[in-house]
Amino acid sequence: MKIVVKLNGRNREWEAAPGATLLSVLRDGPQEPRMTSVKRGCETGDCGACTVLLDGQPVNSCVVAAARAHGHAVTTIEGLAGDPLMTALQAALVEHAAVQCGYCSPGMLVSLYHLLKECRAAGTTPGDHAIREALSGNLCRCTGYVKPVAAATAVAATLAAVGRAEAGAR
Amino acid sequence: MWELKEYRIAGSIGEAVAMMRRGPGKGVYIAGGTDLFLFPPACDYVVDINHVGMSNIARTPDGDLFIGAAATLHDIATCPLVTGFAGGLVSAAAAHCGNRPVRTTATIGGNLCNALPSADLAPALLALDAVCYIADEDSQESLPLEEFFTGPRRTVLDGRLLVGIALSAASGGWRAAARRLTRSAEDIALVQVAVALEIDGDRVGAARIALGSVAPVPMRAMLAEALVEGELIANLDPDRLADAAAIAAGECEPIDDHRASAEYRREMVGVLTRRLLASVLAGSTDTSPGTDNEGGAA
Repeated sequence: MKIVVKLNGRNREWEAAPGATLLSVLRDGPQEPRMTSVKRGCETGDCGACTVLLDGQPVNSCVVAAARAHGHAVTTIEGLAGDPLMTALQAALVEHAAVQCGYCSPGMLVSLYHLLKECRAAGTTPGDHAIREALSGNLCRCTGYVKPVAAATAVAATLAAVGRAEAGAR
Repeated sequence: MWELKEYRIAGSIGEAVAMMRRGPGKGVYIAGGTDLFLFPPACDYVVDINHVGMSNIARTPDGDLFIGAAATLHDIATCPLVTGFAGGLVSAAAAHCGNRPVRTTATIGGNLCNALPSADLAPALLALDAVCYIADEDSQESLPLEEFFTGPRRTVLDGRLLVGIALSAASGGWRAAARRLTRSAEDIALVQVAVALEIDGDRVGAARIALGSVAPVPMRAMLAEALVEGELIANLDPDRLADAAAIAAGECEPIDDHRASAEYRREMVGVLTRRLLASVLAGSTDTSPGTDNEGGAA
């Protein structure tokens, strides 16, 4: 079946089997370029390695039908390259040694990006609980969760400081 | 890979049912799809109901709460209309289901139509006298949620479409609390208990005790409810609550499986029912997930 999506800001037409998952179409093609940041993990909606944004909301692309994306916007890490918030998150993960094998990193980054974007829009700063809740769907078997949470906390604090400075400058 | 022949996208409720009835072969409705992709059912086609206008959450002029079957668990967990209804019993149940990315697409209709004995939203909805709205090609029907489930993974639907769930304005003012025992936060519940009481001055009006994961279908412990309903609060001493809890434990029909023994489940129904009745009567509306298995220490 034909599926029309806005992938990372660009209109794309996919040819996909009716039972295909969003993960399989994004990662395996046949259309190029393949979004290899979207990892195949559990394929049961538990590990979060395949997390992408569907209309700005995080989803496990392994348990979402490709056809579900028809007429909607899909965002992967590839589409957020160079985005200041994503760049800050990536730098913070590296700085806090929150990346080891890296398989969970794209999913974690998508989840954290969504959280911080949402908090910024609401004018709030996420606390420990909100960060852990946002990462609740992303399993990591290398570093664990302390370092990713510390990285996200650091970025959130920077964003809050920038927000205060901007408010002061006005 | 799910071997489907066709993915049909419906534009209206009537069209969805017509697409389901049309054949050839077997069809399944799909909304979020998070359960379907876990265990893809053998079928020829699916009917996508994401575009038929069933994802709304609204208060009617009478104050009833209507939740469309395609409303996502994230929307239900965060919508002020639901968080402010009966102490947020239903929104808390939705918030404890799966993880954030699952809740983005998983729907209340899917949770109910999948009809697992452990359906996360069922006890909270049963405790608030939820009514289901079901559409056929040219007719609609409503029935109490307790009549919706006919067995594990079985419902009354038979090709018809669950359109939504309604909760009466009256139940919005009930005091309620729920507990969900699991090994880990994401695991399927071992035991679920939801309690809702209508407090009418010095007396309990309606009393509801709903159980999940302890019978072939989510159920109400009606004999236990009868011991509490209409009673003076002063008469509901710890002994009386323990009696009601013991009756509830007797009413459930748990099984042994790899997650827990039937004996443990039955014991926990008693413990949780007693504690929840006490805490609701004391004015607390605790709907914490209860992942700590603290029930064992009772």
